[in-house]
Amino acid sequence: MATVVDMDAKGELGFPYWTPVRRRLSPDSPFFAYGNIQRELFAKQVALDLTEDEKNQLQNLVDEDGRDIFCPIVGCGARLTFLEDFEDHYNARHAASCSVCSRVYPTSGLLSIHVSEAHDSFFQAKVARGYAMYECLVEGCGLKFKNYKSRQQHLVDKHKFPRAFEFFKKAHPSKKARQKHQRKQAIQKRGETSSKMEVEGETIDGLVSGVSRLSTSDSSPSSISFGHHHTRGFIFLPRAVKRENSTHNGTKG
Amino acid sequence: MAEDGLASHKRDPIKSSVGSVAAQKRRQNAVAVGKERRESLVRAKRLCRVGISGDSDIPLDSDMMIDEEQSILEAQTLSAVEELKSAIAFQGKGAMQKKVGALRELRRLLSRSEFPPVEAALKAGAVPLLVQCLSFGSPDEQLLEAAWCLTNIAAGKPEETKALLPALPLLIAHLGEKSSLPVAEQCAWALGNVAGEGEDLRNVLLAQGALLPIARMMLPNKGSTVRTAAWALSNLIKGPDSKAATELIRVDGVLDAICRHLRKADEELATEVAWVVVYLSALSNFATNMLVKSDVLQLLIQRLATSNSLQLLIPLLRSLGNLIAGDSHTISAILIPGREITDNIIEVLVKCLKSEHRVLKKEAAWVLSNIAAGSVEHKQFVYSSEAVPLLLRLLSTAPFDIRKEVAYVLGNLCVAPAEGNGKPDLILEHLVPLVGRGCLPAFIDLVRSVDTEAARLGLQFIELVLRGMPNGEGPKLVEQEDGIEAMERFQFHENEDLRNMANGLVDRYFGEDYGLDELAD
Repeated sequence: MATVVDMDAKGELGFPYWTPVRRRLSPDSPFFAYGNIQRELFAKQVALDLTEDEKNQLQNLVDEDGRDIFCPIVGCGARLTFLEDFEDHYNARHAASCSVCSRVYPTSGLLSIHVSEAHDSFFQAKVARGYAMYECLVEGCGLKFKNYKSRQQHLVDKHKFPRAFEFFKKAHPSKKARQKHQRKQAIQKRGETSSKMEVEGETIDGLVSGVSRLSTSDSSPSSISFGHHHTRGFIFLPRAVKRENSTHNGTKG
Repeated sequence: MAEDGLASHKRDPIKSSVGSVAAQKRRQNAVAVGKERRESLVRAKRLCRVGISGDSDIPLDSDMMIDEEQSILEAQTLSAVEELKSAIAFQGKGAMQKKVGALRELRRLLSRSEFPPVEAALKAGAVPLLVQCLSFGSPDEQLLEAAWCLTNIAAGKPEETKALLPALPLLIAHLGEKSSLPVAEQCAWALGNVAGEGEDLRNVLLAQGALLPIARMMLPNKGSTVRTAAWALSNLIKGPDSKAATELIRVDGVLDAICRHLRKADEELATEVAWVVVYLSALSNFATNMLVKSDVLQLLIQRLATSNSLQLLIPLLRSLGNLIAGDSHTISAILIPGREITDNIIEVLVKCLKSEHRVLKKEAAWVLSNIAAGSVEHKQFVYSSEAVPLLLRLLSTAPFDIRKEVAYVLGNLCVAPAEGNGKPDLILEHLVPLVGRGCLPAFIDLVRSVDTEAARLGLQFIELVLRGMPNGEGPKLVEQEDGIEAMERFQFHENEDLRNMANGLVDRYFGEDYGLDELAD
């Protein structure tokens, strides 16, 4: 793949600033895959000897029955009738495919939901903190739920989905994965709080007042929210403080 | 015109010039054979020669007994090869005619449908026999028929193509300038199929010296030979090694021929030549350099403007992209804003952006992003062109991969060329209006995507907005578009770079003090 930045112009933030560079791509870069498809079909050519009649018949076959082309995307091999149909087939079958696990969805909306629910640790983190993250699958409904089951129930009750229906299998992180995630969080918390305290010289008082401000201004999310629920004036505190709050949920006001 | 010269038993005397056999009697129709393999069911629908089953009026759509037909075909192939074998062994009078007759029979079997009985032919031992028929001094008709058989064998599965290895040196030899044109063309065709198989076979062909003679066949102005040669060449040089591309551009007359064909040739020939340029410009710096110094850029642009064939537009656009990406000279010395050629290239890229074809939109955006990575004048030029409104529209409606390319263009427009190691300067005259026209949500959307590169782009653009928007508006704008939330997701992200980037931004711009003054009452 192309490199975005030749040299990271990192400043005091250590941030790799946007640096305009020419991007050169090799001919077998996946970037060109789509454009190469038609060419690939002509990689080898058979020399046929056809009379004028046969040529016409072949032409009719092409026009009426359609030439049999097979989708060259690895693992697909779907049969296409016209070369022109390829664009439709591609959009339908390969465009809304998950780049992580290769599952294919009929709409980009469903793909996006799948990606969040199955591959996004941020999503899981929010779920764990009690946010309603599971979106209703019916376009235009907009309701969100705290867990997979309640969304499922909603689909059945409100939208008359069959009870046995499962568009998305519930993402059950393995025990190992859960443990790993918890360990990671613990390490980060520990690391961050201690360094923050030392480096910024925060006093305990400062932290406590910061946290109390957080608790009074932050409205707890309701179980069902419509669309993006973002309170104006929500204070985004440095991570250390936020995590302090979340682990001491019970003790702070 | 029902040409029966070959189907019927009326044959031209051998003495008739090969030219007439080839040009008048032979009707060739190149049919693409997909690399993915076909099912036997499909074969039934393929045009199957009347002679095989003996009827003269087979309804093409009928559900024929496929297996039966196949096995008849295979049996006939087997006997044709046997026939050839004995013809070769035959020493007596009329040996030559016997050989040609046997070859012709085999060739017919191998060229009546898109799925010739290659496997049967190979199993029967066709290749060594065909190699014998290619010996020097053989009559043209014999060479032609043998090469034709080999062509169709090579068009099959990988192992079938590889079966041609013993024949390669002879096929290459018959490309020589002393060979008759149809013979040379047929050999080039066979070799093109071999080269199209893969890198290993390509290397064998190059080592055996196939490049030069095929390149020479591309020099004349017209004829089917030129087109076949160009196609074979494109297969031969497609790498991944760059040596062949570098060698090709050095061949006397090639660069000139490329220009001539891009300028005047019909769309089919121009397409093949354009693909040659694609590989030359993608693989070889030396070739790119030479191409840029010639008229090719101009010609590519002209052709892009006048053609409407997707098959041709794709390699033209790609070549243009490669030449711009591969050599800084293109942008710095040729595509200078103010020149007519620069106006023309934007027009042509806009045409591609407006196209309904996904590939043209995506690759045109890529090309634009590289132009926008040039000087400040280049950025101003692109910014004030017709392209920007189109790009903004694509940013909200197009599929992901196109949006990503558009993001590159817009971001490049907002940042000055880097000097030294510090932060590149922002171009507020572009950034502010673009953000005003609503491009920020799309970048924040990229941050949310699973694609690391896209997420990185999104974060980098957010940084520009946070840093550059006047009156401290940046953070507010980002927050309004749920940018904070989008960046939050990287707190636990496994990608360290992205995590650091996002956290860095959040810490710096949305720290403790953020929004405090609003709460103060």
